Amino acid sequence: METVFINELKPFLDAVAEQMALFVPKKSGEHYVYIKYDHSSEKVVEFNNIRACTPLKEFLFPLCELAAVFPEPVEPEEIKPFAVFGLKDCDLRSIEILDKVFLEDEFEDLFYVARREKMFIISSDCFEPRESCCCNLFGGQSYAEKSFDLNLAKVKNGFVIEAGSDKGEEFLQQHKDIFVEAPAEALAERDSTRARTQQQLEENNAEYKLDAPVNEIMENSPDSDVFDIESQKCVECQACTRVCPTCHCFYLYDTKQKDYFAKMKMWDSCMRLAYAEVAGGANPRKMLGDRIKHRLMHKFSYFFDRYGIDMCVGCGRCIDADSHKMDIRVVLKKLNEELKNKPKAKVAK
Amino acid sequence: MNQNLYQPIDCEVTDIIDESPTIKTFVVVPEEKFSFRTGQFVELTLPGVGEAPFTPSSSPADTKKMEITIVKAGRVTNLLHECKKGQKVGIRGPYGNGYPIDDFVGKQVYIVGGGVGLAPIRSLFLTLVDRIKDFKSVVCRFGAKTPDDFIYKKTLFGPWQKIAGVDMKLTVDKANGQWQHNVGVVTTILDRGDVDIKNTVGVVCGPPIMMKFATQKLLEFGFASKNIYLSMEKNMSCGVGKCGHCMIGKFYVCKDGPVFTYEQIEQYPDIFD
Repeated sequence: METVFINELKPFLDAVAEQMALFVPKKSGEHYVYIKYDHSSEKVVEFNNIRACTPLKEFLFPLCELAAVFPEPVEPEEIKPFAVFGLKDCDLRSIEILDKVFLEDEFEDLFYVARREKMFIISSDCFEPRESCCCNLFGGQSYAEKSFDLNLAKVKNGFVIEAGSDKGEEFLQQHKDIFVEAPAEALAERDSTRARTQQQLEENNAEYKLDAPVNEIMENSPDSDVFDIESQKCVECQACTRVCPTCHCFYLYDTKQKDYFAKMKMWDSCMRLAYAEVAGGANPRKMLGDRIKHRLMHKFSYFFDRYGIDMCVGCGRCIDADSHKMDIRVVLKKLNEELKNKPKAKVAK
Repeated sequence: MNQNLYQPIDCEVTDIIDESPTIKTFVVVPEEKFSFRTGQFVELTLPGVGEAPFTPSSSPADTKKMEITIVKAGRVTNLLHECKKGQKVGIRGPYGNGYPIDDFVGKQVYIVGGGVGLAPIRSLFLTLVDRIKDFKSVVCRFGAKTPDDFIYKKTLFGPWQKIAGVDMKLTVDKANGQWQHNVGVVTTILDRGDVDIKNTVGVVCGPPIMMKFATQKLLEFGFASKNIYLSMEKNMSCGVGKCGHCMIGKFYVCKDGPVFTYEQIEQYPDIFD
């Protein structure tokens, strides 16, 4: 695929925004959130060195959406093409996970499929990982090699842009005039920055390395006290599941509008006490520790069993969001240590 | 599949039958073609109020209408109980696997049911009776709190008792004057002597506590855990294995169930909670 170079972001972003709605990162406190790009604004769009705190799922599976209208059926609203700029490798891997559930499954979610088809993905290299970033522990890295339309890498005097799909290639062809050939030194700088960032991730997370595959560790820890102990710190705010780019639980509820009835689809959280409760009051996960265990089992065992990949990309958002700093890496490491001291653990999934 | 997963089919409630003080059967006529396999479930929407999962209690052979037996247990079911004939409702589904009837052929089908758990069992029972000669026998061991709490009284106390090939015993926790059957919890009418252990399958459906003890009893009798079929009640919402509410371990009850063999799920400590 083609690789080009550009000195400034603005002409590139303007060219994208001419074709479709574009969402770009904006610094908010210590994090980035997405806002709609305004080409007339004087403000320079920042290149986000790290993932935004907003999970990508918001673009594909909004917090709340209309799922059905009664008695008249509703067709999915027409989704127009849109682009998101500044996604990182962890974000792209979260799409792979959501696709398994909503797109590749025998039951396709039309609303998800419509948005997925219309999304133009502009990723970029990550080069200032946060302390919480741990993609390298979960099969990821600081830069994307697939699943994007275009990928940008920031270098000294500009940006190296690489196409990763036919759509991306076509875009570069259409806008030849704003790009130049990527200089060899820019490519070399990109590659060395990538290696350095990857090295930094390895160093940051060295203490959390596990001695066995994470699904094996989870499956061998059904009776561990770690979940109950961790639960003592949890205030059940559910932030971990909201910011998680791969958590996709939702809740269907019915409402009465002026002249029709609507069925809405809204994000839900398995950390909520009444989440699994049935009408008669039975609840398989009354204890918070059991809910924490279920969440992690889903991520690292049940999802893997069903779809062949883990349901965690190591983006670290849950670590940042947790007011008591419950750290998924620490929990897994504790289970790892427990198993080392208990070699004959029973296997149960 | 190119349809909106969350859009119900319009239906009308054409009749409502009082079964017990807290249980009613709703006769639901879909406005579109709709069919199901026995043991599968549907999501029933009361427009503007909510949606809940139910296993139809009628025979799948009746494709014109469907009967759904509902106990008052929460917000949606309380309001459903207030509905009148002619109420418009919505149905999504059918979802899940249903009972593997063909695997039961030639065998004794040993059914243990309790309370409103008789609803899915009625659908199964009617399906089995339709081809009763295909099975060695159908053994029914049904329980309820009191005689009044039994659902499908007219057929249960009458014609169903006389079907050739069906061996039926009933029990109540607490009897009244006219009660001629057993008194005691359902496990008190489970007798090892009635079981053809080499050629039997068990089916259990009822309140969680009943399912727990009935399953234990069948295991004591020597049933293999792969031959005990449990119809699981969890908080099924989307019906298509996505929303996560009904998970038991790695299983989505809505998609992988609601009928499981005990062997599939015995490793999870919380299945009867």
